[in-house]
Amino acid sequence: MSIQKDTEGNEKKYLHQFADFAGKRVLEIGCGEGRLTWQYAKTSRSTFAIDLDADALRVAAIDKPSDLHNKALFIRAESERVPFAKEAFDLAVLAWSL
Amino acid sequence: MVHALSEIKRVLIPNGILIDLRPVLDRWQIEVVSTREVRETGRMQDFPLGLADDQAANKSVANAAENGWFVREREEFFPFVYSWDSPKDMEEWIKEEWEGFIGLDEESNRATRSAWALADGDARVQVRINMLITRWRKRKSELE
Repeated sequence: MSIQKDTEGNEKKYLHQFADFAGKRVLEIGCGEGRLTWQYAKTSRSTFAIDLDADALRVAAIDKPSDLHNKALFIRAESERVPFAKEAFDLAVLAWSL
Repeated sequence: MVHALSEIKRVLIPNGILIDLRPVLDRWQIEVVSTREVRETGRMQDFPLGLADDQAANKSVANAAENGWFVREREEFFPFVYSWDSPKDMEEWIKEEWEGFIGLDEESNRATRSAWALADGDARVQVRINMLITRWRKRKSELE
């Protein structure tokens, strides 16, 4: 089955209109295979992306662009128990997950 | 969902930003698209389970705002397009990924198949999803 998502590129456009990721510590909740993560992580200071789906996280780890090697980290975790300290992030993204 | 928002509030710095990005059911438009034309062929059906999910999400963010955790700063809707090579691919996707939440009625399905069969060779099938993006700012304190 062949599928293309966001063929008009609106998601990236609106995401960057709504948030400035430059230099920010970002938490993404519900990252799945990282499709959205790739749209902003490069400019962030650091990105931690969580999801419960281990298979999707495996795909994200494989697909991760080499220039994000030290910037984007994928972690299996629940959104109800985020494994980070208080006030650890400047910006959070709820990605299709509320 | 409220627990997730509570966790986000905990890990965000004061004045930190939360972006909530999610699809909202709205009988999404189905189209057959070729280089020559775009033809609307029907609408998806919203099922009670999907509508209940949207309501629960709306209620959670409303509660978070009422609790004084976040302030809504900006909100907009925009289209997000899913595109497939053929109606069959679309039907498979709906069955595998969206079953129980949204569906395709027989009339829309027939119209889409027919329009795609009669269209140019490069024709694709797409669904125009209604996306909601909201920027919230964490309050410095709940008394703010």
